[in-house]
Amino acid sequence: MLDAFLAGAHQVFAFDTLIYMLIGSVAGIVAAAIPGFTVTMAIILTLPLTFTMDPLQGVSVMLSVYVGGYTGGLISAALLGIPGTPSSVATTFDAFPMARGGEPGRALSLGVWASFFGTVISTIILIVAAPPLALIAVKLGPWEYFSLIVFALTIVASLVGNSLMRGLIAGVIGLGLATIGPDPMMGRPRLTFESDILMPGLPFLIVLIGIFAISQLMGEVEDHGKKDTKGALIPDVIEFKTWAVMREVLMHPVNLVRSSLIGVFIGALPGAGGSIANLLAYDQAKRSSKTPEEFGKGNPDGVIASEAGNSATAGGGLIPMIALGIPGSAVDAILMAALMVHGISVGPRLIMDNADLAYGMFVAMIVASLMMLVVCVLSMRLFLRVTDIPKQFIVPTVMICCVIGAFALNNRVSDLYLLGAIGLVGYGLKSLDYPLAPLVLGVILGPIAETNLRRALMSDGDWTVFFTRPISAVLLAAALLSVIFSVRSVLKMRKKDRPATDEQDGD
Amino acid sequence: MTSGSEKSAAAGALAPAASRARTEFARLVSYVVFGLGSVYLSMRAGELPTSRWEPLGAGSFPQLVFAVLAGLCLISAIRAVMDIRKAGQLDGLAAALCGWVKVRRISFALFGLLVAYLAVLPFAGFSLATFVFLLITQLMIAGISKKTFIQSVVAALIFSVGLNLLFAEVFNVFLPRGVLFAG
Repeated sequence: MLDAFLAGAHQVFAFDTLIYMLIGSVAGIVAAAIPGFTVTMAIILTLPLTFTMDPLQGVSVMLSVYVGGYTGGLISAALLGIPGTPSSVATTFDAFPMARGGEPGRALSLGVWASFFGTVISTIILIVAAPPLALIAVKLGPWEYFSLIVFALTIVASLVGNSLMRGLIAGVIGLGLATIGPDPMMGRPRLTFESDILMPGLPFLIVLIGIFAISQLMGEVEDHGKKDTKGALIPDVIEFKTWAVMREVLMHPVNLVRSSLIGVFIGALPGAGGSIANLLAYDQAKRSSKTPEEFGKGNPDGVIASEAGNSATAGGGLIPMIALGIPGSAVDAILMAALMVHGISVGPRLIMDNADLAYGMFVAMIVASLMMLVVCVLSMRLFLRVTDIPKQFIVPTVMICCVIGAFALNNRVSDLYLLGAIGLVGYGLKSLDYPLAPLVLGVILGPIAETNLRRALMSDGDWTVFFTRPISAVLLAAALLSVIFSVRSVLKMRKKDRPATDEQDGD
Repeated sequence: MTSGSEKSAAAGALAPAASRARTEFARLVSYVVFGLGSVYLSMRAGELPTSRWEPLGAGSFPQLVFAVLAGLCLISAIRAVMDIRKAGQLDGLAAALCGWVKVRRISFALFGLLVAYLAVLPFAGFSLATFVFLLITQLMIAGISKKTFIQSVVAALIFSVGLNLLFAEVFNVFLPRGVLFAG
C-alpha cells in the first residue's frame, strides 16, 4: 500500500502535473463563479484537454477542477446572492446577508476555509473507507452487482428532481440509450437501424455533454423578461482577514466535522451530490444551533456548514466510484469515463490492479484542496471580476468547447451530429422538468447492469437467485424501500399542499 | 439544477389550475411519445436472434428495459390525465405554446445556428466556421451596436483561431481543417 501511495504521489508531484492542476484549480473556480455554470460543465470542458495526458495526470487535473469548482460557486453566492452552482444554494442563505452586512471578505474566507477542511476530511475518509470496501466488492457476484445498480438507479431517481416517476423514466431512458450499438457480451449490433452513426453505439461522453452542457447553455439564453441587476453589488474594497477567519472556522469543530460527514455520506450515495449535501448540512447546523433564529442573517455557522457540506461530497463521491465502479454523481461519471478513455476499467479491482492510480487520486485530492486554498487566498480579488463577464461571450464560447470535446473524443464528425440531437432532447427533457442526472447514470450503468444480469443467468438460469442470495436480496429490498419512501413522501406532500391549492383554485 | 427545480416547484405550486393543466398536458405528450417509442423499440429488440450459449440473448435486456419504460410511461400518462381532469381547464393551449416558444426563441435560434455550424464545420474548417458562428451568436445575444460588434469580432477571432492553435500545438488534437483548407 505504501509503495502504491508513494508511486502515486511521485506522479502527482511531477512539475508539469502540478502546473496543470494549478490551471485546473483556477479554471474550476472561475467556471463555478459564473452564475448558471455548474461544476459538471467545468469538468466536461476539461475532459478533452486531458486526452493526451497520462491517466493519473488527467484525473488529477479534473479533480482540481472539481475541488475548485465546489469553492468557486461560493463567490457569486456570497456577493451576488446567486448560487454560482446548484451546490451553493444554501451558501446564499448566510454568506449573502453577511456580505451585504459589510463583511464580504469574511463571508468569502469562511467559505474557502470551510471548503478546504471539508475536502480534507472527506479525502481522509475516502482513503480509509475505499480500500476495505473494494475488498468486499470484489467478492460480490453478478447477482449482487446487478441488484446494486438497480438500487443505485432507484436512489438517484428518488433523490433528484421533483418527481420519482420522471426520475425513473429518465433513468430507464438512459439504460435504453446504452443498449444502442453492439451488445456488451457478444458484440451483436442492436437497434442501430443500419445507420453508420449508431453502429458504434452512443458514446457516453457525447450523451453527457449533450444532455448536461448543450441543454444548460440553451437554457441560459431563455428570455423570461428578468433584468440582470448584478455587478453593482460587488464592493470595491474587500477585507479578507484570512488567518483570523481560519481560526474562526476551527473554533466550530463540531459543525465542521458534522457538515463534512454529511457531505461524505451524501456524496457516496449515487446521484445525491453537492446540492443536497449543501442544504442538508445547513439544515442540520441550524437544528443543532442554540441560536437558530440567527441563521439566514449572516451566521458564520451557516456558511461553514453549507460550504463544508458541499465540498466534502467530492471525496464521498469517489468512494463508490473507486471501490465499486459506481459513480456517485455526474461528475464522478465523467471522471470514470476519463479513465475508461485511457483503457482503465473502473471497478473494485482498480485499487488492486492500478493501486498507484487509485492512491495517486487520493494524493491529488489533498493537493487539489491545498491548491484551491492557496489560489483563493492569493487571488480571490481577481475572481470577483469573473461574475462581470457578459453572457454573450460565455455561452457561445462554452458551446464551442463542448463541440471540441465531443470531436476530440474519437475524431469523428458524426459524433457532433449526435451531440446536437442529444442536446435538443436534453433541452426538451429539462424544459419538462425531467431530472437529467438519472439519465446520464443510466447510460453509464446500463452496460454494467446488462453484463452482470446475463452473467448471473448464464451461471444459473433461475431468476429467484436474485432474491435468495442475502446481499442481493438486501439491495433489492433497499431499492424497493427507497421507491416506497419516495412515493410516501410525495403523497404526504400532496396532502399537505391540497388545502392551499384548493384555496388558490377557489380564488 | 436544484435552484431551478426548486423555483419550478414553487412556481408550480402557485400556478393557476389552467397553467398546471397545460404543463401536465405537455408532459402527457412526452409520456405518449416515450411510451410508443419504447413499445416499438421493445418489439424491434425482440426480433433479435436468441443466443445458443446463454438464456438471455442480445435482445433480451433492451426488450426488458423498453418494456419497463413503456410501463412507467403508461402509469405516468394515466396520472397526468387524472391531474388534467382534476384541474378541469385546458384552454389556451395554442397561446401557451406560442408563449413558450417566444420565451425560448433565442435558445432555439442558438440551437439552429449550432446545427448549421456542425453541418458546415467539415467543409469550412474549424477556424472559419467557428469565427462565423461565434460572431453571429454573440451579436444575437447581445444585440448589434458598434461596441458589441468590435467586442464580438475580437472574441470570435481569439476563440476560433486561438483555440485551434491551442489544441493543435499544445494538446496535439487536430480539429477539422475543412475542404477549403485541405492539402
